Amino acid sequence: MAEKEHAHGGYRLYWVTWLWLLILTIFMIGFEVLHLPRLFLVLALVVFMLTKAAFIAGNFMHLRFERLNLIVMVVVGLLITGAVLFVLIYPDGLRVLQLSKAS
Amino acid sequence: MTESHAVEMTAESVWGGGVSPFGVSWRKLMMWIFIITDGLLFAGLLAGYGFLRLASPRWPDQAEVFYIPFIAFMTFVLITSSATMGTAVGAARHGDRRWIVRGLALTILGGLTFLGCQAYEWTHLIHEGARLYTNPWGVPHFTACFFVLTGFHGSHVLSGVIILTVTLIRTLLGKATPEGVEIAGLYWHFVDLVWVFIFTLFYLL
Repeated sequence: MAEKEHAHGGYRLYWVTWLWLLILTIFMIGFEVLHLPRLFLVLALVVFMLTKAAFIAGNFMHLRFERLNLIVMVVVGLLITGAVLFVLIYPDGLRVLQLSKAS
Repeated sequence: MTESHAVEMTAESVWGGGVSPFGVSWRKLMMWIFIITDGLLFAGLLAGYGFLRLASPRWPDQAEVFYIPFIAFMTFVLITSSATMGTAVGAARHGDRRWIVRGLALTILGGLTFLGCQAYEWTHLIHEGARLYTNPWGVPHFTACFFVLTGFHGSHVLSGVIILTVTLIRTLLGKATPEGVEIAGLYWHFVDLVWVFIFTLFYLL
């Protein structure tokens, strides 16, 4: 019985995380509906998006309970490569836009 | 023994073979490596979408094309299914078979609901005239991005539902291991993780 109670107590983390994800999603939609200034909206949504991603990876995928080597491999691998992709590709998008406007 | 020598020895003993430097089984490690590579696939798709959006002089207002509360409901379904999946993983660790089955069944139901919503959304847009490279909103890349991003994600949800169904059947037959349930859960949470990015970057921004 005690083991069963412990097992059910272990589920709390997932439902607390679910609640946070729900709250963050409601905030994101609320910000979208309020038509806030574009720069503020973009920054706020990106911060909320990364927070939600951290909640899912850390609590649902148990990454924060894993060994540091694994955390570094996953987080750094994805973040650095993702950031390099965006940094390399985005400026080209703006250049194409300028060229299409100039022609 | 100096401190630097001790550090060197420890690093060597961890990476020198015989032990797992990551502290996980090879099956779980392979799933993590798959998740990284698949994550990079989606990063590439989202970067491509960002390029096309920046290069387009105009972009349709998403709130006019999509019914955002409906997309929010899809998001709610997916994060709830992640919580039920977490419950199944927790139950598997504690050997609580009844909750593994319940958790997996609810997660599968969530996945099927999400897929049904996505099928409805696609059908609705196609009826409005949306095609891969043409649409009534005058920005051809818009629907190309929509169909490719949501299509790739939807195929991952479908794969997840199949993996979870197999895991559920194996649990019912008494063949599933706690690690097997956890690895299936990792994949499902990854699908949820990708949706967080698609929902924000494509539907909201």
